[in-house]
This record gives sequence, C-alpha cells and structure tokens, in this order.
Amino acid sequence: MNNDTMSIEDYLAQGGVLTAPGNAPARYRAELLRLMASFVDSELAGSAGFADTINDAPGIKERIAAARIVLEKADHAGRVLSVMASFGADAGRYAVHHPWAARLPREADIGAVRQGADRRLAVFHYPLRGWVDAVTMNVLMGRAVVIQLKELERVSYQPLAEVFRTITPRETRHAELGLEGLKRIVETAQGREQAQAAADYWHPRVAASFGVVGSARHDMLARLGLRHVPNEALLAEWRAAIAAELAPLGLTVKEG
Amino acid sequence: MSRFHPLEITDVRRETRDAIVVTLKPREEDREAFRFTQGQYLTFRHRFDDAELRRSYSICAGLDDGALRVGIKRVDGGAFSTWANENLRPGDLIEAMPPMGNFHLPLEPEAAREYLGFAGGSGITPILSIIRTTLAREPKSRFTLVYANRQVGSIMFREELEDLKNEHLGRLSIIHILDSEGQEIDLFSGQIDRAKCDALFRHWIDLPSVDAAFICGPEPMMLVIAEALRAHGMADERIKFELFASSQPGRLPQKPRRNGAADAAATCEASVTLDGVTRTFSFPKQGQSVLEAALAHSLDAPFACTAGVCSTCRAKVLEGEVEMLVNHALEDYEVEQGYVLTCQCYPVSDRIAVSYDQ
Repeated sequence: MNNDTMSIEDYLAQGGVLTAPGNAPARYRAELLRLMASFVDSELAGSAGFADTINDAPGIKERIAAARIVLEKADHAGRVLSVMASFGADAGRYAVHHPWAARLPREADIGAVRQGADRRLAVFHYPLRGWVDAVTMNVLMGRAVVIQLKELERVSYQPLAEVFRTITPRETRHAELGLEGLKRIVETAQGREQAQAAADYWHPRVAASFGVVGSARHDMLARLGLRHVPNEALLAEWRAAIAAELAPLGLTVKEG
Repeated sequence: MSRFHPLEITDVRRETRDAIVVTLKPREEDREAFRFTQGQYLTFRHRFDDAELRRSYSICAGLDDGALRVGIKRVDGGAFSTWANENLRPGDLIEAMPPMGNFHLPLEPEAAREYLGFAGGSGITPILSIIRTTLAREPKSRFTLVYANRQVGSIMFREELEDLKNEHLGRLSIIHILDSEGQEIDLFSGQIDRAKCDALFRHWIDLPSVDAAFICGPEPMMLVIAEALRAHGMADERIKFELFASSQPGRLPQKPRRNGAADAAATCEASVTLDGVTRTFSFPKQGQSVLEAALAHSLDAPFACTAGVCSTCRAKVLEGEVEMLVNHALEDYEVEQGYVLTCQCYPVSDRIAVSYDQ
C-alpha cells in the first residue's frame, strides 16, 4: 500500500484510534494520563466520601444502595488505574498515595481549581453532611458523571474507551438510585426543605466541575481525539437535565 | 514494572522475502503465564550494544494450535525487525513479556455469527489467530477476510489461509486486494479507499448481517475502513481495531549529551520544550523540581500524582544532568534512554535541556 504511512498527529486529528501503549506519542501519552488520573482521583474521592454516608442511611435498602455506590466507584477507579499501569504507573502505590476521604471545610471556595497533585474534580473536596445532603449531591453529580462519561467513551485510546463503556451503565444506576432516594426524601416537608438547601449548595459546585468555558486546552485535546464536545455544551446539557429531574420533585435550581 | 521471561525459539520459517514466522516455547514454570487469547501480542526486548529496544509482534497461532507463534515483518529502517529477520535461529533464547492486548471478542460455541476482518500487510498476524480460533471454537460461525497487500509475493500466510479455507469449506471466504498487480476483477486491484469499501459492501459483503468486524493495519487504512463501516451503519462497539502504527521510530535511541562543563553554580539554566515551543529560564538547583520550575514559568507541563508513581510528568533529558529522587513508574531501559520523572528531578549540571515532546 503506497499511502500506508501517515503521521500519528494527522491520524488522530482525522478520528483515528490508538490501541496499545506503544502507539502513543509523548504528548498524547501525557494528556491521556492526566485525563485518567483526574477520573481515578474523582472516583476514589467520591467513593471514600460516600463511605460515611452508609451509616447515615435511614434503612437497609438505603444502606445497601450507599454501600454499592462506594464499592462500584472504587472498582471503576481500579479499572482505569489498570490502563494507567499499562503506561508504567505503579497502580498499587497510586491507589494509596492520597487521603481520598480528606475534605476541605464546607464553606471553602475553591472554584474549579484542582488542589495540587490531587487530580480529583474540585467538587469532591467538599464534605457531605448527612443523608439528605449525600443523596442530593449524588443526584446532581451522578447526572454530571453520566454526561461526562458519554464524552469519555469517545476517547481515541481504544482500551480506555472500552473501559469507560463498561463503567457507564453502573454510574447510570448510581444516579438512578440517587433519584429514587430523593423522591422518598421530598415526601415530607422537612425532607424537601433539606433537599432544597442541599441542591442550592451543590448545584454551583457540580456546575464548576465541567471545567472552563472557552478552554484553550480543549482544542489541543480535540486534535488528539481526547475530547469532542466543548465544556459549555456538556454543562448546558447537564443544567437542562437536572432542572427536568428536580422540577417534578418540587425542587428548584438557582441559576448562575 | 514489566516482567520478561526467556522463550526458546524452536522454529524459524521464512514466510515471505521479508517476513519470518517464529515458534516459541516458554519454560515449564512460565507456561501458565504465556497462555494467550486470540489476537494478542508479545513484547520482546533485545539489547543492541548499549541500548535496549522493545517491540511488539502479534501472535498468529490459534488457541488450539498447541504452539506460541509470531510473525515478524521487516520494516524499512527498523532496527529490531531487521535484526530478527537476519539473526533468529532455532535454539536461541529471546525475552518477552506475557501476552497482552484486547483485540478479541468472547467466543460462544453455540453462536452462529458472521465476522468480517480487514488486514493490511502484516496486520494479518493477529487476524489469522482470530480466524483460526473462531473457526475451531464457534463451529457455526463464518468469517470473511479482506486482505490487502502490495503484491502476491508479499502476502503473508497465503498458503495457510488457503488451507484453512479448504479445511472449513464454506465458512471462510477471502478477498485478496493487491496494490500493484492487476486482477481479473477490477475491484480487487489497487488500494483500499472509500470507493472500494462502498463497492465491497454493495456487491460482496452483506454488512447488515455482520456481527463484528476486526481491522488491523496502518493508519490510513484504519481511517478509511472505520469511516466506511460507520457510514454503512455499523455500531462502534462492534468494530475492534488494532493499529500497526507506521510512523513509530525504528532506529536506536540516542543517548543524552553530557556537557562535561563545570557544574558548580547555584542556579541552573534550563531549556524546556513542550508542544514544539522551547522556553529557557534560570532557577535555583535547590528547592524546585524541574516540573515546578516549568509550571512557574507558565509552561502547561503535564503532571498528576507528583509522587513519582504515575509517570504523567515523564520527559526526556537531552542535555545535562539531573538527579531523580523517587522513581516508581519508569523502567531501567527508559531511564537509560534519558527519560525522567520531572516532578522528582532536580538539576545537577549548570545547563539542562528537557523535552516533553519525545
């Protein structure tokens, strides 16, 4: 075949996929690892943060749901960590190198900025406060994760895209469990009041997890096939989805 | 950290003018580790003078063939493939990592599926493994192979494929596409481009009845076929790719230059390259890692754990000397080539040049 050579950059820019660590040029490898580290850190932090919620659960079914979320998010982190390991990362050491349950004060205001070497999304630095708070946060962030996974499934590194595809149905179920729990909570006036306060607190923080609007890095990542839809579009999709989910429950969202 | 095991070469067969098929035998204690799934590859290593090279080659044997066998095609300017084609002999030992790769789908003995394979040149190796295993383990399934090569003489496994066709009558069909030789049917000459794919799907392959497709070859071919399959309605989850990248460096790596100049200054002058841009700045040798200095000078250098365990911050030292405090993510042979974890590196020499682009 005559035209059987093509630069990797052109190949990726035209939608090509890479299939083994050896295919990845240096900058692609670095950005892929960054992307994976952020997902791993977020899942581990989310899992660790939700662990205390198990003991806040009002019943056995709720305990099981919370425990399932803790277990499965840790498992998801492990799956992506395996892909990082194929690039040389020491997965065993990585899994324990941060105190994943550590949180900043509830009223800290860190915007969307990641904290140092911990690559979790900023929203996972804020602490949960009781059952209603946790369920509401899970509904808001759960929907965000599902939308972000739809984007991540299109990543140009095939082994990682396949891992994300196995994760999506389970994260979708986490969001559904959250919504079921929230429906029960708003059956009482007190519950609805608490849920509304939680929604007011978490909505802007989850919104910030969609990243910078008009990101310059996005173009670079898009050329590598690591991103496809801009942050602002994903954020808009999430805002609409959440508004539609909360309205039937008598909950409102504060815009802005 | 990777684990290499010695494999004994029990047979070397010249398959075409520039490709060999090598049969390998693991030690008794490694037999379990070298059990493979169809479509996987082995990563070999060999020391050339003072540099180690690693290359991966796909297993061409099926699961039931009772042997571990790879195909190695000589690449122009490829140090490893040239050495292998010229030097490997039965009785030699060669080191390899256990089989890796995800280029397969689970097989079910009762399933009656239609599979489609596209192979370009040496891309036939993993697909042959998949075909052999599928025909044996899914007796009701059928396989159509579209196999592109330059000319008849460069078709790897030509006879073996013919034998398979005859052995499993009616279950394997092969369409040979030859770049530089005219064929009776015009469609089967030339290169695989979009027009050819469309014609194949119109006249020869009933795509709606295909359950899964396997594609293995170089970049342009992968793009064309992926696009054509999608345009004809095939879902992404049913298409498996294995890229045999054409633009990987085949040559031996060069060692970093050492200045030999005096290294007594308290600050270091650093040139850091990222995304094609090189920025030069000074920073104290104590107290700031190379990564921290790069970030402080507005370079969007990659990093994640800053603990020396993830390798996101890996870069190559092109000039000068640095000291790396902790390393849990780079292998010895990477360090040999000049790679470092910049989150752990502090300059020793007065001048360093580091690149994140290599």
